[in-house]
Amino acid sequence: MDAVPKLAIEDLSYYYPETNTPALNRINLEIPEGQFLIIAGESGSGKSSLLRIISGLAPEFYGGSSQGRISLDDVDIKQLKQRELLQKMGIVFQNPESQLIMMSVEQELVFGLENLGLPNNLMRRRLMEVSGALGLSSYLDSFIPELSGGQKQKIALASVLAMQPEILLLDEPSSQLDPIAAQEFLAVVRQLNEDHGLTIILVEQRLERCCHLADRIIFMEQGQICYDYKVKERGANQWTYKLPAVFLPPIPKLFAGLGYKKLPMTVKQGRKILHEDFPSLAENKQVSVTVSKTSAGAEEQQNIVDIRSLYFSYPNGQEVLKNIDLSINSGDFIAVMGENGAGKSTLLKNINGLLKAGRGQIKMLNRDTGKMTVEELAADIGYLPQDSMDYLFLPSVGEELTYTIKNRNLPDDGFKEHISKKLNLKPFLECNPRDLSAGEAQRVVIASILLSRPSLLLLDEPTRGLDNHMKEKLGELLLQLNSEGTAIVMVTHDVEFVAQYARDLILMFGGIIVTKGSKYEILPQSTYYAPQMCKLFRNIADGVLKADEGKEILAQLIQYREEIM
Amino acid sequence: MLTYREKDNLIYKLHPFTIIAFIIIVFILSLLFSSPFFLLGLLLAVVSVIKAAGTLNEWKKYIKFSLTIIMLIMIINALFAQNGATILYRSPHLPLFGTLSISLESLAYGLGMSVRLLVIISVFCLYTYVVNPDKSLRLWGGLGSKSVLAITLSTRLFPLMIKDFQRISEVQRCRGAKLYSGKMWERIKNFLPIISILLISSLERALQISESMHARAYGSGPRSFYHKDLWHPRDFLILIVSAGGLLLGIWSYLKGWSAYAYYPALARYNLNEIIIAIIISISLMFPAVLNWGWMLFPSLRSRI
Repeated sequence: MDAVPKLAIEDLSYYYPETNTPALNRINLEIPEGQFLIIAGESGSGKSSLLRIISGLAPEFYGGSSQGRISLDDVDIKQLKQRELLQKMGIVFQNPESQLIMMSVEQELVFGLENLGLPNNLMRRRLMEVSGALGLSSYLDSFIPELSGGQKQKIALASVLAMQPEILLLDEPSSQLDPIAAQEFLAVVRQLNEDHGLTIILVEQRLERCCHLADRIIFMEQGQICYDYKVKERGANQWTYKLPAVFLPPIPKLFAGLGYKKLPMTVKQGRKILHEDFPSLAENKQVSVTVSKTSAGAEEQQNIVDIRSLYFSYPNGQEVLKNIDLSINSGDFIAVMGENGAGKSTLLKNINGLLKAGRGQIKMLNRDTGKMTVEELAADIGYLPQDSMDYLFLPSVGEELTYTIKNRNLPDDGFKEHISKKLNLKPFLECNPRDLSAGEAQRVVIASILLSRPSLLLLDEPTRGLDNHMKEKLGELLLQLNSEGTAIVMVTHDVEFVAQYARDLILMFGGIIVTKGSKYEILPQSTYYAPQMCKLFRNIADGVLKADEGKEILAQLIQYREEIM
Repeated sequence: MLTYREKDNLIYKLHPFTIIAFIIIVFILSLLFSSPFFLLGLLLAVVSVIKAAGTLNEWKKYIKFSLTIIMLIMIINALFAQNGATILYRSPHLPLFGTLSISLESLAYGLGMSVRLLVIISVFCLYTYVVNPDKSLRLWGGLGSKSVLAITLSTRLFPLMIKDFQRISEVQRCRGAKLYSGKMWERIKNFLPIISILLISSLERALQISESMHARAYGSGPRSFYHKDLWHPRDFLILIVSAGGLLLGIWSYLKGWSAYAYYPALARYNLNEIIIAIIISISLMFPAVLNWGWMLFPSLRSRI
């Protein structure tokens, strides 16, 4: 007989208040102690709702009604007091900004312990242990508002761990973090699972970041579990080709596309398959494979922004941009990358006039931007903010679009109709933008920007918080706009997105442009910024960045093998 | 946007109870006293502590901001308080107001009240810059009132809202909203979306924060309080000397020494009253004096 599972969910359904459609529909799930479970699925599939109901937040905090049974160590959680349940389940949320309550790290870490009414000496011991384990001891006196997003998320995790939960629930904890901070965070979570045997349930959309950590991955769709995969041996080639492509990270997706039955999870596993399947590669025999790349159109381009010897310092004297020279032409699609504090966002704000250059000059369509206001520049420069909700404020999508037309005194010549059709917004015209998914809301912002026919589109971290499907849609839209002549400059940490869609790349460090050029020149030579395709085919075929290029190479390899056999 | 910054001096090393008690003592006395000498003594004391804490520059910003209000108080009082006997200026007949006279007494009264306002503003400044918000939350929260805790938490949200406001207005300016140019009416109209977004996002944030508090067992039963702040001799010294100042102040109030008759003519001053005002002032300057010793003689630090 099987041992009693740590957590058992039987026939669970849940309705949010005033809704008739279930957010969770007859869920059955058993989670043994120490399991690392990943819950994946598109936005609105019920992942977060499942976490909320396991943690006791729903219906207790959210209201609504539930049916079915959740038992922890064979005890129905309804029989547990709120305090008992919260001590057993710890939950970390998506946004580090909105879950920290206190000012100092130390106070944040003991907040939950105070709420549990623990004695002072026990709180001190827990504080010492958790801050030591997560490397936060030197931050105890720091002020939370001054810390980075990654550090804040680690503190949120520590404050939950201090309560010594038996199950750790994580709701897309790395979605708002840059890739390095996200990797660091997930490494801590992995350690908690492996070294301390903590049961972990992680909701995540970007499987490429975390799938190699999991013992089991479930996929949700419309409030139901549609796929449930138990990894027999962690890290082994366990991906199944039966999964819908939209769930798959780039590397397994590539192999699945060519009919492979065994799919790798990581670059390492992918290379192992390549070397096993194509022995000539292992023997270092020269394999002549090439990538056919589409090059930028050579037609005459109009100069849009011309930056000469730009320096910028903040009032505190910190020099953030140093000697920047940059030309942006119509049809350019430039990604700006670099670590936090490298000056990327400051560069964008200098271009759109929010900040004025200390020295040097920026010309926008041959006019000196130093003498122009942000509002004047806004007619030619569209700015897509990180959070679409900072942009949208009217009760319906249609009104948002009309606002732009009226605000700019533009003629209503059917262009609004054209744009909403082009961006597929027609079904949403009556909807409140706040009820839309992150990707849809972003399209509303883009549509509103496009109405004023800008020559340049500035994007600040456009892929943050988007799932793979939304990212693909955004990328295709940007390519389309770019091909119509709109220049695009995009600040991002998302290497895969850059590899797939951008044309040129600028790397910034310490306020200077370290390198600029085609992505095909820069990315393959980089260790950190190389995309997964590039790492997979390193020393096999140079300059493979995109998924379709990887597919082409793999197809060539298969053909080559068939020819010599 | 965070106002509190820990600095390396004695004032920041005090037990939160000590510094909050000091602030409350000065505040109570500023309400009890009406004599300009007593109020000036309080102002000197609190400014000396602000200087000792190294927050004089921040205080200057507060004062610059409040000067307009002070000027307004003085002008209005001088124009409308017509009780003074020593007339400095008499206006010609004005419609609605009649003849207005500006007296020495009304000016002095305005000045006295301005000093009181300065003391209150300075005390507020000291609280904002010197008291760790988490520690004050704990002290007030310890009183057990949920509404006090809620108010203190909302002060935690305030810096976040200012940050949000800056970010949202930048985004709206990039959308073409004229916030700083154009007609006044248009500017106000263009600010409305920002307020609307700010309200919605603050509501969402408040919901997320309360969800996070709920998930960490807030409200699940009686709380305990984590404290690591230790009591030092410096705390007792300051508490005893400040309490002495408070008692002397209350005694002066009961005896009527700290009151002052501005009208109809400025009262004469008794030397004894001035001496008592100086003693109270010195007793409340004690934290600054102790800080001076702390900075000058490092060996004193471990002793107190």
